[in-house]
Amino acid sequence: MRKVGLFVTCLADLFRPRTAFAAAALLERAGCDVEVPRLQTCCGQPAYNSGDTQNARRIARRVISAFETFDYVVAPSGSCAGTIKLHYPDLFADDPAWRTRAENLAARTCEIVSFLADVCSYSPRDVALAASATYHDTCSGLRELKIERQPRALLSSVKGLRLIPLPDVQSCCGFGGTFCVKYPSISNAIVDEKATNIESTKADLLLGGDLGCLMNMAGKLRRRGSAIRAFHVAEILAGMGDGPAIGEEP
Amino acid sequence: MTRAEADTFKARAGAALADHHLKTAIDRTTRTARQKREAAVAGWPGFSRARDLGARIKDHVIENLDHYLIEFERNARASGAIVHYASSAGDACQIVVRICRDAKARTVTRSKSMLGEEIGLPHALDEAGLGRVETDLAEHIVQLAHDRPSHIIWPALHRTREDIAALFREHHHTPQNSDDIPAMVASARRQLRGGFLAADVGISGANFLIADSGAVCTVTNEGNAELTTTIPRVHIVTAGIEKLVPSLPHAFALLRLLVRSATGADITQYTTFHCGPKRAGDLDGPEAFHIVLVDNGRARMLGQGLAEMLRCLRCGACMNHCVVYNEIGGHAYGGVYPGPMGAVLTPVLDGLETSRDLVHACTLNGRCQEVCPVDIPLPAMLRGWREKSWAQGLEPVTQRSFIGLWAFVVTRPRLYRLGAGLAIKTLRLFARDGWIRALPLASGWTSTRDFPKPARRTFMAQYQAQKRNRGL
Amino acid sequence: MSARDDILAAIRRNLRREPSDASAIRTAAEALALEARESRPSLPGCDLAEAFAQRLVSAKVVGASVSHIGHFSEAPGEVRNYCDAHGLAYEMALQPDPALQQLDWSDFTITASIGADQTLAVAKARWAIAETGTLAFHSGPFSPTLMSFLPLHHICFIERERILAHLEDYAAAEAGATPPRNVNLITGASGTADIEGALVRGAHGPAFLHAVIVDAGEL
Repeated sequence: MRKVGLFVTCLADLFRPRTAFAAAALLERAGCDVEVPRLQTCCGQPAYNSGDTQNARRIARRVISAFETFDYVVAPSGSCAGTIKLHYPDLFADDPAWRTRAENLAARTCEIVSFLADVCSYSPRDVALAASATYHDTCSGLRELKIERQPRALLSSVKGLRLIPLPDVQSCCGFGGTFCVKYPSISNAIVDEKATNIESTKADLLLGGDLGCLMNMAGKLRRRGSAIRAFHVAEILAGMGDGPAIGEEP
Repeated sequence: MTRAEADTFKARAGAALADHHLKTAIDRTTRTARQKREAAVAGWPGFSRARDLGARIKDHVIENLDHYLIEFERNARASGAIVHYASSAGDACQIVVRICRDAKARTVTRSKSMLGEEIGLPHALDEAGLGRVETDLAEHIVQLAHDRPSHIIWPALHRTREDIAALFREHHHTPQNSDDIPAMVASARRQLRGGFLAADVGISGANFLIADSGAVCTVTNEGNAELTTTIPRVHIVTAGIEKLVPSLPHAFALLRLLVRSATGADITQYTTFHCGPKRAGDLDGPEAFHIVLVDNGRARMLGQGLAEMLRCLRCGACMNHCVVYNEIGGHAYGGVYPGPMGAVLTPVLDGLETSRDLVHACTLNGRCQEVCPVDIPLPAMLRGWREKSWAQGLEPVTQRSFIGLWAFVVTRPRLYRLGAGLAIKTLRLFARDGWIRALPLASGWTSTRDFPKPARRTFMAQYQAQKRNRGL
Repeated sequence: MSARDDILAAIRRNLRREPSDASAIRTAAEALALEARESRPSLPGCDLAEAFAQRLVSAKVVGASVSHIGHFSEAPGEVRNYCDAHGLAYEMALQPDPALQQLDWSDFTITASIGADQTLAVAKARWAIAETGTLAFHSGPFSPTLMSFLPLHHICFIERERILAHLEDYAAAEAGATPPRNVNLITGASGTADIEGALVRGAHGPAFLHAVIVDAGEL
């Protein structure tokens, strides 16, 4: 049995526990032995992308220590998985011992949907949702981890779900982590264009694999008065599409 | 607003965002550019291999830059060219102005060159009292409008056809009768022909410097480079030293990538190799041929972890595909080079202190690298500048303290859990109907977007409770 | 120290190495050039003249047309046809190439040099490249550069056996020869997309390019 450490991600922990529950449920259905290490917090991306490598390394060492005993580390986020998989080894370029540990962990770190499809050959059975949805490829997942085919393949086995292609799907939504805080007006202009494209699909649902991007797009859609509801793709695959969408927390 | 405040990146970007006319102009050009590039790449099955090879050709040259510089210089001299070296932008301009003065030049034609813009050559020629005629249509528009280029392939991209029609009616001696684009192009053709014929000196850039022959390659679609370099008595090339390639086949391999990435065509209409001055018996061509090889920070980049940036072919694909560029346009960047490649280069040219905003104003979405024909790791390079900015203490105190405090908390899981629980409780106080419409300290977000209300308890708290209930 | 020495020293200092071995560099460069042949665009299965002609009239090339003649002696008739079709007077600048000059152009007013507002120029290209639909000209006593850039209409004759497959084949065909002042690789008519990205032909150079493939050098 695959022993998987679930990397919850700080956004799921704070804002959207349902995403992490969905990820845990999917991993169990795919036959994994799931554990949620209690010592985890954040992958350190805000420090890393701000140029604070010293703090990024401190955080990375903690993540490596907390997760290195598992067969796999799985995160419901292309962005956090990408940080561990691609950037941790770079952070320890001058520290051979830690670099080896970082590379070791990187090799076993995956984003949830691609892990289910590529490692577990899992696809949801008996999951149904009568709705139309459009899927946005979040950038880290798409470009750092090459996740494009897998979510579409898995979503196609959800009965009753109709996928509508999103125009200009490869464009970033303008979230960008600290970017949306530092340059809110540019970020807003970008997400406004994204929202126009999403609305043009007339889909019921917006799906994606990263909560930061989803919160950004959902927040913009809501402010524009759109009725399109946003879910993390894992929630739909786990059969949680009938629950509250992002921003519908009780 | 004071003058200094008006000239910050944020102020320029804010002004650009408020200018809907600008957004229309940007979209009209970049949308076409993206579609054409995509079609060109899709029509070339060998593209990804060619792209990988292109990167390796450039890396090979960069690793042996001294060797190729010497080889090029030797062959160019043998062909009759006069080769000059300039360490800085100022030196390069001085050399060009001196050549013009020695030639007793009154008017100078220029064919578009980003290196020329980088070293401030248009300004230097004006200062020296030389009559400057920009011959690239877009540069002509920029010159008439006393403007600055806003894109490296389409310098007048920020202007709509309506703007340009008005500009031509004001400045051309026989302007167009109707304001359709072909009539405007014809008006510019009539206007500029006299300038071509009267020029004493023609100045071009270089797309490639061919080391084994000493030839200089220019590419244009208009044919203005050849009219600029053939008619006057003197032809001056200004070129960055990274433009070297070993030989003609290497230039062709890169040309295929450059043109498809820039305009979506397979080759430019005019690809010309200039080798030395007019030969005995030649019926046209310049009597003197000068090549000014410019460093201007390039050799330094080799030692700053920026060597891969010297692969850049100046195709503009990164900016055409950049979400930030597409919202704010080129002028907001404040440097000569806009977009992702500009955000990497401007700190080299203007210093990090004045351009630190550029390296942060990027979502790191990676599309620029994906469309780059030589796979320059632009996001990683921007992150590299962020590290330098942090290490040099250029980041604002608020930013440093925030990241410092946050890192303190996330490296202490128990403290983090406590803080997380408090944070969501506080946030929930601001929520109505599942959403937060206004949030102190996050007004940047909430002034234009709603923020989702967090769940009642964190995942970790809920998960531990469930485990306890299950008796685990 | 001169600027040249400064720049070379800075390069070597920043590359953190001494000058490398020239023959090793050459070997590496040749390998890279050879590799380019593996990924270059492929040509249609027809012969090169047909591939070149197809390419020239495709949407990939701006403002170009193509026709065939059997022999150079038919060139004046072909130019007359072109002038008739485009409503042009029988006036032209003729490239001083012996193969063209010896033909019977008695119907035409010929200017020896190219004028600034020349309507038509007629020339012979040195090579053509099927991959891109390109005509190659070398400047020289029989071939002024401006003939390709000043006129509104540019008619170019190209002998069938001088049509090459790929850009690299041009480089190979001229390898070892001293390059002329100008090599002009011309692909279609002049164009610009500088106003809103809209493609317009005839920016500064010719608005019309007509290639005539001369099928046989000998009758």
